[in-house]
Amino acid sequence: MTRHLIFSIRYIRKMHFILNFLALMFLMVPFARGQTPNDALMMPSKNICILLNYDLGQFDRYWEGDYLRKNETIATVDRNTILPMAAVGILDELNFYIGLPHVKTSSSEINGGRFEGVKGFQDLMLALKFKALDKSLGVGQLSLFTSIGYSTPASNYLSDYLPYSLGFGAPELSLRGIARYQLTNGFYVRGMIAHLWRGYTEVERDYYYNNGSYYTALMDVPNAWNIEAVLGKWFLNNTLKFELNYAGLKSTSGDNIRAYNAAQPTNKVKFDRLGVSLQYYSPSIKGLGVVGYYTNVVNGLNTAKFSNVGLGLTYQFEFIKNNYEEQDAQ
Amino acid sequence: MRNKPVISIIIICGIVGLVSCEKDLPTHLEYKDYSFSSADENGGAWQPILIDQGAAITIEAPEDISSDSYMAEILTLKESMAQINTSQKEALAYWGNNAVVRWNEITLELIAKYNLIPGPNEDGSYTLPNPANPNGPPGFPFAHPPYACRVLAYLSVAQFDGLISAWHHKYVYNREAPYKQDTSISFAYEANDIPSYPSDGAVLARVSKRVLSAMFPLEAEYLQKKENEHLESLLLSGGNVPSDVTAGAAIGDSIAQIALARAANDGMKNAQAPKAVSDSIKAAAFARFGWQWDNLEIPARPVGLTPLFGKVMMWNVANVEDVRPVAPPALDSDTYLEDVAILKEHADNMTEEKRRIANFWQDGLGTYTPPGHWNRFANEFMVESKMNPLRSARTLAYMNMAIMDAGISCWDAKYYYHYPRPIQTIEGFKTIAGTPNFPSYTSGHSAFSAAASEVLAYVFPEKASLVRGWAEEAAMSRVYGGIHWTFDATAGTDQGREVAGFTINVAKGDGAD
Repeated sequence: MTRHLIFSIRYIRKMHFILNFLALMFLMVPFARGQTPNDALMMPSKNICILLNYDLGQFDRYWEGDYLRKNETIATVDRNTILPMAAVGILDELNFYIGLPHVKTSSSEINGGRFEGVKGFQDLMLALKFKALDKSLGVGQLSLFTSIGYSTPASNYLSDYLPYSLGFGAPELSLRGIARYQLTNGFYVRGMIAHLWRGYTEVERDYYYNNGSYYTALMDVPNAWNIEAVLGKWFLNNTLKFELNYAGLKSTSGDNIRAYNAAQPTNKVKFDRLGVSLQYYSPSIKGLGVVGYYTNVVNGLNTAKFSNVGLGLTYQFEFIKNNYEEQDAQ
Repeated sequence: MRNKPVISIIIICGIVGLVSCEKDLPTHLEYKDYSFSSADENGGAWQPILIDQGAAITIEAPEDISSDSYMAEILTLKESMAQINTSQKEALAYWGNNAVVRWNEITLELIAKYNLIPGPNEDGSYTLPNPANPNGPPGFPFAHPPYACRVLAYLSVAQFDGLISAWHHKYVYNREAPYKQDTSISFAYEANDIPSYPSDGAVLARVSKRVLSAMFPLEAEYLQKKENEHLESLLLSGGNVPSDVTAGAAIGDSIAQIALARAANDGMKNAQAPKAVSDSIKAAAFARFGWQWDNLEIPARPVGLTPLFGKVMMWNVANVEDVRPVAPPALDSDTYLEDVAILKEHADNMTEEKRRIANFWQDGLGTYTPPGHWNRFANEFMVESKMNPLRSARTLAYMNMAIMDAGISCWDAKYYYHYPRPIQTIEGFKTIAGTPNFPSYTSGHSAFSAAASEVLAYVFPEKASLVRGWAEEAAMSRVYGGIHWTFDATAGTDQGREVAGFTINVAKGDGAD
């Protein structure tokens, strides 16, 4: 795994581009709950947690630069994401993650463009999360984490087909720092900051305009900063978790969507998103959890004003022990 | 805790790897300076387009090379060349030895910048760009394909005529370039034997700036900056003295004025007809054929794109109706129903190859348009063939005249037949390309591409089968995109080829072959 990551990192290229908000949908929304590279939970060693999440995102307005507009040519755009993901406890302090979202997009029927939507597998995501610190501090417990993630397109989807594209079509390397402070009464706050290095996306035309001519099929997907702030509390004997969250993303470069023109992967994307989530761990069926959430983009630049709702199931079990049992059975 | 160092190593390698792999993407055609394959010494006798002959534009005779004034020019030139700075060196490398390519690229960039369709106002109405109020909103112009092909035609024709005139005077006066007069001057590019008075580069800089400033009024300042940089480069290259440049710019001024006078009265200003005229054109088609194209955008656009572009003055075809294709199939005919089945079949079985073709040739809003795409190919071929600026300008002039004539003929058919688009007549049909705001028959991409490919096949015979294949692929790309019928594409291709034939016949008689 480590070798694979180093290999990928060394050879990563700014290779291809699309809508950052699309990437966001899959990177931030489903992964922001449960055991994910973004949060402050760790799987114990020799445990696996499987997540299956369904997410529905919708928008009927988007920011062209900083102007929030309607566009009846695309009308309301739907984005359905099914995300299977696994978190593996390698050590108590080191977890590995793998996920592969399947995305389906379409416009509502009544629109002026008559554009066909798309569907398919988006990006394979791999990540490692490491717990760097866990200690008592004052009236609570302080935990610090870092995670490194890599994602790359898993199918030959076209990133240059906004707003329907499955993703931004480029490899991404992410580096995150996460801090959590939890009181004994179950209240906690969590903060996360990440830098996302994005490569080039290869599109199907070899000329485009990005504040000037580009004679290439490669589009530079801007790198971005990503932050999260979460206020949460555990209830019912640590079986129910409630969170209010803020997520922000800010590209470090890029151009604006031009007047009444399609977005493209080179755009500079910013947004502020607010959300709530609930996660419940069943005391009766050991290892089973349910997560639900709602988020809304409240402010943005060159991005869609998405609302998302999602529902996921998580199931956690000890995989080493299970393997032994299977061997014994043989 | 043994994992800690591993994580640190991964992070450090990652950051170093990402930063070191950043590279620049190409923003123009990069080519190595080359030795011209011909000097075209008799180019001054070629037949121009807008003027009777190269000698029709007159300039003053140059001072003798032994004169004090010329010696002073050489001295000043050497001083400024000795003080060249980094940005001036970059400009020399950028402009290269064939500025026809660069001015064409500047044009393509402005087309892409201005190829934005006005969106609806809050009340659902649309405001059109207005040359009397270029700032808008919306800004002027909307550089759609008809506008783009016309810009390219006027630019290329004016450049060509200006260079024929320059070549005429070059070989009348035979003044050698500064780097030939004084061996201590080193030329920035490959040496050639073309005389330097008047400067061909200065013709290009001045005529291009003037034509483009008229077509893109909001870019006058940017274009002036480009002209200044180009003119300065001509001196710093060691290839021209100021009097060469002044004489070249004078030719540029003269020919630009002639070209813009033609443009002012070619009918383009009436092409975007008012709603009443547009409605009567539509009603006439319905009365004649029993069908009419409708814009399906929400809110609907009241007028299609340039209904009267088909009435614009052509370059090499006497009467647009002479090249009008036969009528498309009736909406209840077997031919039509077969096409419905074909379009549904493509939509239901979209392959990555068909998608790639649809996108590669799409050249839609925000891009340099299909005429621009073919100019880009021509630029690449011209450099590959090591053409000098005169021969390059000739290539683009004939290609862009043929493209514009094909566009005019295509628009004549579009609004005469007023044929519906697939999304209008196939229930529930969806596309992967945007359906444009004008009737379907014939396909503009097909006509533009066929015309361009025929001229390129004439100029570059070794490329004939390649470019004709591209034109056919460009035509089919619109069918894959779901926005054209197959008969739009085939009729458009035939139309483009036929129209281009008129231009190629003129080219064959201009004395260059």
